[in-house]
Amino acid sequence: MTEFLWRLPTRGDGRRALPELRNRGGFAGPPPSTPATDVRPGRYGPFDDLAQIVHAAELAGLDGVLAPYDPLGEESWIVAAGALRATRYATVVVEFQPAFGTPVYAAKMSATLQRLSRGRLAWRIAVDTDAADATARGDGVTGDERYARAAEFLTVARGAWNENTVPGAGFAGTGFEFDGAYYDVIDGGFRGILSGLPFPAVHLSGTSAAALELSARHGDVHVFAETPDGPATAIADLRARAAAAGRRVRIGVEIPVIARESEDEAWARVRRQWAETGRAADEATALNLGDGRWAGFGAFGYPQPIGLVGSYEQVARQLSTYIAVGVDTVVLAGHPHIEELHRAGEHLLHLADPAGRTLAAQEVTA
Amino acid sequence: MTIDVYWRIGMEGDHASLRTPRRYNRGHANGYGPGNIAPAVRHGELDDYGYIDHMAAVARASESAGFLGGLLPSFPVTDDPWAVSAALARETTTYRFMVAFQPGFLHPVQAARMSASLQRATGGRLVYNIISGGGGPAQLWWGDKVAHDDRYARTSEFLDVLRGVWDGEPYDHDGRFFRTAGAALPPGLAGQPFPEVYFSGSSGAAVQAAGRHADYYLSWLEPFADLRAKFEGVRAHAEKLGRVPKFAVRIDIVARNTEEAAWAEIERGWAFVDRAAADRAAQGDSVGAARIAGWVPETITGYRDLEVQPNVWCGFSLIRGGPAFGLVGSYEQVAERLDQLVELGVDAFILAGNPHLEEAYRVGEEVLPRFGRSRLTAPAPAASLTVVR
Repeated sequence: MTEFLWRLPTRGDGRRALPELRNRGGFAGPPPSTPATDVRPGRYGPFDDLAQIVHAAELAGLDGVLAPYDPLGEESWIVAAGALRATRYATVVVEFQPAFGTPVYAAKMSATLQRLSRGRLAWRIAVDTDAADATARGDGVTGDERYARAAEFLTVARGAWNENTVPGAGFAGTGFEFDGAYYDVIDGGFRGILSGLPFPAVHLSGTSAAALELSARHGDVHVFAETPDGPATAIADLRARAAAAGRRVRIGVEIPVIARESEDEAWARVRRQWAETGRAADEATALNLGDGRWAGFGAFGYPQPIGLVGSYEQVARQLSTYIAVGVDTVVLAGHPHIEELHRAGEHLLHLADPAGRTLAAQEVTA
Repeated sequence: MTIDVYWRIGMEGDHASLRTPRRYNRGHANGYGPGNIAPAVRHGELDDYGYIDHMAAVARASESAGFLGGLLPSFPVTDDPWAVSAALARETTTYRFMVAFQPGFLHPVQAARMSASLQRATGGRLVYNIISGGGGPAQLWWGDKVAHDDRYARTSEFLDVLRGVWDGEPYDHDGRFFRTAGAALPPGLAGQPFPEVYFSGSSGAAVQAAGRHADYYLSWLEPFADLRAKFEGVRAHAEKLGRVPKFAVRIDIVARNTEEAAWAEIERGWAFVDRAAADRAAQGDSVGAARIAGWVPETITGYRDLEVQPNVWCGFSLIRGGPAFGLVGSYEQVAERLDQLVELGVDAFILAGNPHLEEAYRVGEEVLPRFGRSRLTAPAPAASLTVVR
């Protein structure tokens, strides 16, 4: 079965193409006092819209959501904790950068979230963050050093974590020691209620040698963005590196979609949105890669420039081709989110992944 | 003058009663014994509930019993208060979440982002309980080798940076522990109310840092004269900096209909005294813990030896984890003691009792109305009672 995740909008949502015009969630700025954004305490607030999106993802049958690291959006741990509390089944992937704090504290917060969600938390480590953002945070670690630090971060976090249950013993640890370039721990290690929990699955991304090497040694899932040449070469490279390290890393692809009942409707949506951004219509056509992929999603505020456009059947077929080359996690995105989540759940997933999304036995009809 | 009264949410699990040994059968801190709840055993299997569901129940109970909010404490062995607050943000309406955290574990820009998002999720109901760490093995366990006084210097710098980025204007800082260049909360997150700062620590370094940053200087309960002297020291230091701190006290309460009934409750718990456990908890370089140890008599012949002044009892750490001092007495007496504490300068209370859920109702229903000065139970000013025609 293929895992389908959804990227949550943590900077507001809405119908409009331009992120700054999306009026749900309180990030559009003044003046729009819309019914969905009333930030007076106790009234309808920005997290009400996010909660509805999380609920939509759960009801639409997605396997989980990604709470992205976005310096300009809601903080991902706050979003993730609320999402875990509000769902029964969803995996919630919290994305954060290693310099946010200590790996032991990340592990500690995560142990609580694993406890309250019965093990549904996953991590996505944003190693290669925007340079200006890193400077603002006073993070002087640059280049491939960031991957060395991330490796140390994951080593310490796993070292403090005990997946087997260890009885409590005051504030004593379980003998985990670490004296590294970035982190120190003396007699660390979780006991009692913080032990006996699954370590979060680690999602990583990036295409540099350092990024792939980090995944090969420390990652559980490596998420690729689409490129004009497709992901096959990068997947083969990662597989070879992981095999050399004696490991297997699951492959993910993150891809925005605009899927409609007919191909024409989907492209009409693209053209309408494109016009909203004030660009010339024929530019949009020029970005059509010709096989159901379109390279204009960056203009709509998605971090991935290439996504899928077409009828439900066409988009599902393209998703199936990813699955055929070994992708087992697909991170989808589309706005407005509640509506697009329902489209994905009702029209796409069962076509892209029939084995996992249809009943094995004869469906009972009234 | 009205007083902010908070309740404590037990993060370590909870007892069914002080009358039992230290077995936390709410949550699964001690495994799953008979009578466990959250999770409970149904048909021979654990149900799907967890301790978070019980914490949610305590939050809702104390909200409805008239408390302004709840303290979520933090220990190496407990759940994490950020995670719990974020999970529970939407389950209450007016309840404030007082998050205990140690500045060394998070970068201040990250803490600012988490705080602002939590303010947006709750409509501005986040409060900080800044703790700078008790030292000892637990600190090294966290990967924190910074020495006692430097931890307070770090706390002070941390709060400078957190405030610096809060208003959304680019902020530069190049300090001993943290660096930022042009850091700021994004426009969507900036503009939230800055959380009130509760600040604890009894050492000279703590008092210095508190003078600079505390909205409320928070202390465990101590004999009233000692508490008064401690507050005067903080006030004097803050005045030099041109600041006027408020004071808060964290107090365990055993209040019953009569004084006898309250002491009878203590007597039942006394059967399970664990001196060794209390000693273990006092490891580290905490000046506050050392102060407490100074009041405990060398030889103890019975629980009343620990009543250092009327209704002020320093034996709590012997019958459950946590601080030593609390109030024991009738509803009237406990309310009177709270009044006396207000007279010596207290502006806010964090009250607690085991079991946290039932005692929230009891203290909310019986003590707070007699105390009559909580922000939520004080009589409204007469003007607001005028009928609008």
